[in-house]
Parts: sequence; C-alpha cells; structure tokens
Amino acid sequence: MQAEGIEYIKFTTLSPERIKRMSVAKLIVPDTYNEDGYPIDGGLVDQRLGVIDPGLKCKTCGGRAKTCPGHFGHIELVRPVIHPEFSKTIYLLLQSTCFQCHRLLLTEAQVQEIQPVIKTFVSAEEPEEAAVTTVDITTLASVFGEQDSRAILIKKLKSVKKCPHCTTPQPKLKLERPTFFYVDGNKQKPDEIRDWLSKIPDSDLKLIGIDATATRPEWFILTTLLVPPVNVRPSITLESGERSEDDLTHKLVDIMRINQRLEQDIDAGAPQIIIDDLWELLQYQVTTYFNNETPGVPVARHRSTRPLKTLAQRLKGKEGRLRYNLSGKRVNFSARTVISSDASLTVNQVGIPSRIAENLTVPIYVALWNVDYARKYIDSKAYPTAINVIMKDGIRKRVSDVNREELSKGLAPGMIVERQLVDGDLALFNRQPTLHRMSIMAHTVKVLPGRTMRLHVSVAMPYNADFDGDEMNLHIPQSLEAMAEARYLMQPKDQVLSARDGRPILFTEEDEIIGAYLLTQDNIKFAKDDACRMLAGIDVYELPKASKDGTYTGKSLFSKTLPKGLNFEGKTADGKTTIKNGELVDGVVDEKMIGGGGGTLIAKIFDEYGSDICMHFLLNVAKLSLMMTAKVGMTVSVRDYYNSDAILKERTKIVNEVESKANDILQKYKNNQLERLPGYTRKETFELIVMAQLEEARHLAENVLKKSLTVENRAFLMAKVRARGNILNFVQTNMLLGQQSIRGRRPSRGYTGRILPYFKRSSKLPAAKGFIKSSFFDGLQPTEFYMHAMGARDSAMTKSLVTAVSGYLQRRLVNAMQDFYVGKDLSVRDASGGLVQTIYGGDGLDPTRVRIAKGTM
Amino acid sequence: MAKDEAHGINGVTPGEAVGVVAAQSIGEPGTQMVLKAFHSAGISSVITTKGLPRIIEIVDARKKPKFPIMEIRLEKGIEKNYAKVREIWRKIEEVKVSNVITNFDEDLKSGTLILHLDKEKLSFYEITGKTVASRLSKREDLSVEQMDSETIKMKYKGKGRTAHMVRTAFVNVLGSAIVGIKGIIKATVQQAEDGTYTITTSGSNLEEVMKIDGVDKWHLYSNDIFEVMRVYGIDAARNLIAHELDEVIKEEGFTVSFRHIALVADAMTHTGNIKSIGRHGVAGQKESVFARAAYEETVKHFTNASVFGEIDHLKGVAENILIGKQIGLGTGIIRLTVKKDDLKKVKPKKED
Repeated sequence: MQAEGIEYIKFTTLSPERIKRMSVAKLIVPDTYNEDGYPIDGGLVDQRLGVIDPGLKCKTCGGRAKTCPGHFGHIELVRPVIHPEFSKTIYLLLQSTCFQCHRLLLTEAQVQEIQPVIKTFVSAEEPEEAAVTTVDITTLASVFGEQDSRAILIKKLKSVKKCPHCTTPQPKLKLERPTFFYVDGNKQKPDEIRDWLSKIPDSDLKLIGIDATATRPEWFILTTLLVPPVNVRPSITLESGERSEDDLTHKLVDIMRINQRLEQDIDAGAPQIIIDDLWELLQYQVTTYFNNETPGVPVARHRSTRPLKTLAQRLKGKEGRLRYNLSGKRVNFSARTVISSDASLTVNQVGIPSRIAENLTVPIYVALWNVDYARKYIDSKAYPTAINVIMKDGIRKRVSDVNREELSKGLAPGMIVERQLVDGDLALFNRQPTLHRMSIMAHTVKVLPGRTMRLHVSVAMPYNADFDGDEMNLHIPQSLEAMAEARYLMQPKDQVLSARDGRPILFTEEDEIIGAYLLTQDNIKFAKDDACRMLAGIDVYELPKASKDGTYTGKSLFSKTLPKGLNFEGKTADGKTTIKNGELVDGVVDEKMIGGGGGTLIAKIFDEYGSDICMHFLLNVAKLSLMMTAKVGMTVSVRDYYNSDAILKERTKIVNEVESKANDILQKYKNNQLERLPGYTRKETFELIVMAQLEEARHLAENVLKKSLTVENRAFLMAKVRARGNILNFVQTNMLLGQQSIRGRRPSRGYTGRILPYFKRSSKLPAAKGFIKSSFFDGLQPTEFYMHAMGARDSAMTKSLVTAVSGYLQRRLVNAMQDFYVGKDLSVRDASGGLVQTIYGGDGLDPTRVRIAKGTM
Repeated sequence: MAKDEAHGINGVTPGEAVGVVAAQSIGEPGTQMVLKAFHSAGISSVITTKGLPRIIEIVDARKKPKFPIMEIRLEKGIEKNYAKVREIWRKIEEVKVSNVITNFDEDLKSGTLILHLDKEKLSFYEITGKTVASRLSKREDLSVEQMDSETIKMKYKGKGRTAHMVRTAFVNVLGSAIVGIKGIIKATVQQAEDGTYTITTSGSNLEEVMKIDGVDKWHLYSNDIFEVMRVYGIDAARNLIAHELDEVIKEEGFTVSFRHIALVADAMTHTGNIKSIGRHGVAGQKESVFARAAYEETVKHFTNASVFGEIDHLKGVAENILIGKQIGLGTGIIRLTVKKDDLKKVKPKKED
C-alpha cells in the first residue's frame, strides 16, 4: 500500500484561471438543502461537487458516496479580496518595487551582484537540478553581506527613497494587519494593489526568489474562490434527523451571502460607502475562512458561540491534520490492556490473554510451499482458526461454517489467509511515552488465560513500566519484511545493551540481587538435597563438585548459571570478583555485576556468548537468586529502625553542631561581614550558605549510621547491596529529616515574615525555615510536619513540570536529527545527503560495541 | 581507517538511524533530571547553570549564557608565582566605583557628589584614590576634584541641569569601571594541588583577556559558545557545545556515550554557523516543506513554500511517513532488484 511514483511535490499558488479549470461548478446560491432535504443546484452541496449521502449519484463522475472522490467548485467574488495568509508577502513586494514603474528598487549593478545566487534558483525549474530549492530572500540578503535575512533586505529596499529606474520618489507604505494597505496614508483597495502587483515583471520577481511560473503575485488577491468538495466538509445527521453542517460550509455560506448582497447593491447603484462596507465585510469573511485565528480580526463564531474551525485550524498543531492524521496514523492489528508480571515467562516473551489472541490475526501469504499449512487453519473449527481469506482480487472474505469448505477448496497461491495469533508468533510490544528505541520491542507470543498482558519483570526496565495499572500496546506485523525486521533486530534478547552508553538495560533487580549476593557469600553451604532442589529449579540436573564435608557452596551453585569457559574479573562494592573457566572462584556477585549499577557480567556474557546464552543466564540467575531469597527470608521490622542511646546522642551532637554553625553565619550576616557571592544579593548569599550548611546535617548523620549499622539489619543490607532503598532513607527514618527545600531555597512564604505563627517574625533560625530535627521513627512536630508537607508538594509539582519541559526537548531533538543516518562510507548524512560527520562518532563504531573494540572490557 | 577490518562486527551498520538514537539518548535521561535552575555547592565562587536548564540553554543556542564563566590558565614560568598571578588577576576583574566606596553624599540641587572611598577595598584591589579620580576626570559632564586620598568631589557641569539628569550622571559614575575587563564581574585565583594557579571568572570576555600578557592564550576556556565561535572559530564552538553537554550530563550522574553528544554538536554546527535545535534552527531550516510544516508553524511554511515555488523531494523521514511510504533509513536504505525470470527457476519444496 505504498504511494509509488510520487517523485516530488511542488508548491504553487492557484491562478484564477486555474481555479476555474479545476472547478466543476460555479456556485451561486448561498444555501445548502431545500425544504425537501434535497441538495440545491448551485448551492454549497451541489451534487456536482460529489455526494456523501448513500443513494445519491455524483453528477460529475457518476460515482456513489464511496467511489466518488469529490470535485472542486468555485465562487466568483464580485470584488477582489486579499488572501490574508499572503498579506505579509504582498507588503514585502510593495516595499521592494517602485510605486510608479513597478520595477524592483535595485540598480543594475546590484542586480549583477545578485545574479550568481539567483542562477541556482532559476535552474530549479528542472526538478532534477534543483539542488537549492530554498533559495529565498534569506540567501539573497547574504549577498549584501548580512547574515540575517529578510528584515535586512526589506530595510535596504525600504530605505530606497527614489526608484533607480524612473527616479520617482517612493511613497510611505503601511500595512494595517491583517489586510489593509496604505500608500501615503491613503487606504488602498484590493484591486489597486492587484494592479500594482500584476505589473511587476517576471524577471524582477526572480531576483527576489519568486518563481513566476509557480506564482504570480496578483494571485494573492482573490477574484475567484475555490470551494472544496463536500467530502472535505461532510454534514452530519443528528439523531433527531436534523442536519448539522461543517464549519467550512457555514463559512462559505457567509461568504456567498455577502458576495450576493454586494452584487445586488452594486447593480442597484448603492452609495459608495455602503459598497465599501460590504466589501470590507466580504474581506472579513474570507479572512476568517482561511484562518480564524488571524491576529487583529475578531473570531468568527458558531451560533453556539463556539469559534469556527476553519482551514488553518484544520492543519495546525497537535490535533491538526499534519500531526494528528499524517505523522501519526491509526492502525489495525493492535491491542491494549493492563500489564502484570509473570516470573515464569522469559524476557523475550509476552503473555497475551486468549481473548486478544482470538481476535488478532497473522497473515499467511499462500504459496505452493504452504498451501496445506494455510488450509489447516481454514479447516479448523476452533482456535486456532483462520478468520479471513483475502482473495487474489483483494476482497476479504470472512471464514464461517457456511463457506469454510468452499474457501478451503479454492485456496491457491497468491491468496492471503488471516489466522489467529498463536504461541511463537512475534508481536511488537510498546509502552508510552516511547522515549527510546527499547520502548518498542518484539516479543514472542505466549497465549495465557486471564485478561492482562504479562511480561517478565526484568524487561519492565527498558519500558519504564510497573504494574500499578500501567497499560501497554501490542501490534502484529503484517508483512514479511516487518516480521523479519522484528525477528532479527527488535527482540529484547538482542537489545540487552543500550545504545545510550553500551551498558545493559536488561538486568536483575531487588530480590534477585539480594539473593545473588547472599548466595555467593563465602560461608554459604547447602546440603545435597537442598542443592538438588535449587539446581532443578533452573533445569540443571548435575551437581557441582562437593566440598570436603559433603556440602555444596553457594558459589558453586551460582557457577551453574554461568556459561562454560567464562573468564571474568569484576569489581563489586565488596571488592574484586573472579570467575575462572566458568567457575565463581572468589568474591561476591552484586548489583554492579548483574544489576543496574553497570551489569558488567551481563555485558560480558552478551558480548562473548551472544543473546540466547545471555538471556538464559539472566533468567537462571533471577530464578536461583529468588529461591535463595525465599530460603533465607528477607524481612524488615521496626527493630531495624530502632536507635541505641549512643546514636541518639550522636544525633543531638550533629544537630547542635549544624545549628551553631548556622547561627555563626547568621551573626556574620547581621554584622555585615558576609562576603557577597557574585550575582547575588547579601540576603541571597546568606540563604545559600546557610542552606548548604544545614543540608550538611544529613551527610554527617549518614556517616554515623554507616559506622554503627551492620548487615544483620536487613533494611541496611538491602540499601548496601543497592537492591532497594538507600542510606538517605535510613537517615530520615532513624536520625533526622533534615532541611526541607522549596524551589531549591529554604521555605519562606506563609504569614507575614514567617511561615507559621509559632515563630517570631523574620526569624532566620533553622527550625523556622524548614529544618527538621525529628526522624520518621520519632514522629514529626506539628511545625515540622507542615514544613515537610510544603517540601513534598513542591517536589510533586516540579516533577510534573520536568516531564513537560524534557518532553519538548526530546521532541525538538528528535525532529532536528531524525533524518541523520550512517551512509555506506560510515559518514553521517542528512536527508538531502549533506555531510554531518565524516565518520560516525569519529571512529565508525557501534555505540553498544565500543568497549569491545577499544579493548576496555 | 574506520572501514578497516579491525573494526569488523564492532562497526556501525550503514543505514543506522544514528540521529534518532542520539536524540533519544540525550532526551531520555532529561526526563529524570531535576529542573533546579542552579544547584551551586554554596561555597564555590563561580555560579553556572546546571542540569536540564543548561542543556536547553546550549541546545537553544542562546546568544549569551545566563551565567558566563571563564577559566584562565597562565603561561609557563609564572603559573606558580603568586605575586605575578595576582598582578594579572588585578587586570582582569572589573572594579566599579561602587565596589570601592563606603558611602557617598549627593546634592542634586547644587549638583555635587562626594565619594568616600573605602581604604581596605582600595588596597585589596591595589588602586589609589588618584586612579579613581583620573579615571572619572575623563567624563565631560563632571568636574573632578580630589579632596584627599579617600575623598573625591564632583560637580555636574553638563547642559540643562535638571535633577533627573544630574541623578542619571551620578548613577553612571557609580557604575563606571576603574580597572579590569568589561563583563568580568568577579575573578578568583585558585591553586591546584601541584601549586599552579588558575583564574576563574564570572562573566566572559575572551577578546580582552587574550590581550593580557602572561595569559596562556592556547588554553583559555569560556562557556560562552558564540564568543568562542567569534574568537576561535566554528570547530572550537562545536567542541565546546559537545564538552559542555557532556559535563552537564555527567554531573547529573548519567552516562551517555560521547558520540551521541558529538552528533548533536555537529548537527548544530555542520553548516558553519551555530544553529539551534528547534523551530528557528535545524528543524526549522530543513529542506523539506512537509518536514517543517509537520513540526511547527504549519501554515507559515505552506504559504511561503507556495510563494517561492518550493519543491519537496520527499527524502526525509517525516515526509515519507506523511505520504505513507517506507522511510529511507535503517533497513529502508536497502534497495533490492530481482530478475523475474530467475524466480521461475525456483522449485517448490514439499513441507515436512
């Protein structure tokens, strides 16, 4: 379904003659239907413009509602009217040309100077040679030695007081937005401007970049108005049987009505004032017909006071034709539902509810090879069965019990059978916002009972998904090319390494990390039966070598997940870890090796053993570690957050220290001894320094805690192994919450000079400015609670703001660079072949493989 | 070199949509960044924009950064000599009259202004009352008289002595520079571990700093992209854009391969001028009418295209999506032709 054969599209403006040639009907009646509900001849829904009611026949092509593409009509305007979108261009042309002789206000010498630039443009009539199609006034201005543009050229031409051709002094021009022009203060009628523009010679137009074969400037002033076919502005029939016309039809009726009145008045010889008023009204109607948001023009409204959606509004913006219907299209063969997790799937699979699988289809392109295979699906009466058969002529026939036999018999190469989705099919899985390419990946389908789509937890990371109600989309590729592309490029197992930094984006998390860490401790031992049970869980049925006492070490069990012959040395938070010949010899496994902190082991296995072995390693580690976690039991209790008196004393010390330091700064500030930071006032300087000092409290508390806590404290263990939580959580639950901030500063608003009435006015004390001494374990003081709530609200609001700002940044970046690709010579090119980089990245390496190529791994 | 076999399977695949990958690699961490305008450590003396706002500032190609800074290295031989470094420093930081006075008395009626200089500050900046007075005496609208080493008296002698004009002149006096380089609000001397001194400044003015003897002209650093382009050229500007983006991203704790960052920098500069990413730059100056119209300012691009008779060759990604054709990137870069006759020779095999 490709639009083959479109080589290029040229943009031009329509001449009145062209409009008349395009038109199939001159419209004269400013109305739509007569009393019988039948289209009026010469009205806005004239049957020559095409039909949208079923049952009627188009009077131009004879087609029915479905087959008639629609035809253009036209309105003859009694008086010419300015096209509002071109008024700026018109103004520019008036300024650039002589009032008398209508030549460009440039001397021959200047023209000679411009010629070389113009040549490239003029030859653009042959599209193949159109190397430079965008030469416009911008480029022209650069000839005058100026970088930026149009405004400078206009200035240049504007400053010309006398025409160099006929020496006429130039009048003062003024454009009153949107469509009124003044010459020396006298209002110009559109026909006068039309006269002026039509006398500018073609050769002069070329000089300012206008291609006269595409556009003559007098066409910017409309004498005939093209009327789009009814298909473009269909009317809707309401439930009550009433017809509701499209906004464009309404607007066209207005235009025709005024046009008709103007004609009558002119014929009746009405006074000039009345005619001029009507003329301006006609101008208004046409202006709003093109763009109902034209600045300086009152918005045209519907009877219900809703602003009319006219031509420009149809195209513009996020919900406009371009971005809503052309850049983004609706698709079939897709599904969307809530997601949930499933640990028994592989990262490469997606669980599909059977109801969805029954409705989605995969095409079988029937050939001599697979007629029998395709026929099986048609013959099958229950799932999996064929839903449709697409005949050679493209007609889609639904398979039913009535025609099943007939279709089965008639099946021949060249037909397409659409069968239901089955296990093993590939489907594209996506979660919005689609921020990077791992947000759409191809998963193998596994049909499951239930109503949610299921995925492995480890693959939730690239999608940035969780299971608190997230929904995701599923698409079934419909062409063989798409299927192949999905299979070879888009599967999660092949997307382990992120193109952003070459690090794994598929890794183990939380319970799995803590399990792996505990499993690989030096003193972990398993009895034979335990070891057997654990290994059976990952489908390994041979035991590792036993220790002398007949037990099996955790390390040896972990080694069973490693590919054979692997040699690896990695850093962990605990030190060094060595893997020799597929055996974990020394050290522990933690988040740095198999989690988000680098995932060095995952990267190594992916690089050396490929995607399949890497995926199995990941799944096996996850399973084995989860068994370990379950066996050990990971639980936290209030005890973990209980502090000894010694620690509480430390806390008091910290608080006192920080507060006294803050007090010192305050004294300095009061005594005017504080040196101002550049760019800040004294007050701001004080706030910055004091805040930095108060924020220090958390760090001090952190150091104290780190010394006193042991891994016996499970919550601390989790934080230490970086499975879940961090030390800051501990500081805040055990020691103190610390300084709250609003927009990066200490809280400051509320009552006059204070946040709450419990403080002295203009108090700068820590507590009065959001410093919280209590911990979550103690509970917060009322004033502290209030400060905390303020800080929480602030961060909630900032977060929502960041998404908007960074979303727009992302859109801009992608839009600017989406055409860049690597050429066959490894250079980076843009859409028109322009050179961006001579060699991608300076070395021509794939970002996921830089480490290997550079030998840093 | 890059096509060398040494790179083998580690090389990029031709057709790879590296632009989108780079854009996503920078945009995606942006979602997780903080939107704090600046988080200075509080103690450091130079303040710069950090995080997402700085990325946007760079990518927008703003003419002047909100917080321009410079790092000035010194020539070999004097880099460890504090006295000499201080001498250079004195020439750099812009000292205004208001920086060296304790207070002033003004009489708008008679048009007199008496400045009381601050002794400590004068000695800190190593200037005398005389320098201040001689500097001010260059003004034509004032007569300057030095009372003693710490007092300077001035009288307004301009035409038309309204209170407003006198006041404006006096405000001007307070803001006028005595020594230093224009635009350098603050300069600090910093010592590295190996004993070498560098000067860090708030405010940037490469042209003037380069003129000072003893400044290492080959290792000047400024975060003002346009200034760097003016002084050192487009390649330096390109490197600066990449460097600055890299620093900001690193500081936020994200790892992004430098090639993505460099590609953004190249996208902004490969035409020889600095173009912003967005409506007024790269995206707004694309060749294709449709690509521009589908991005922003739809109507403007269509009407202008018709005036100039523009041709859209439908080569980019946006255009091909618009008309429903396969895009020319990635797997779409490959064109295959098959001889139809050869296809007939293929015999169907029975499926097992």
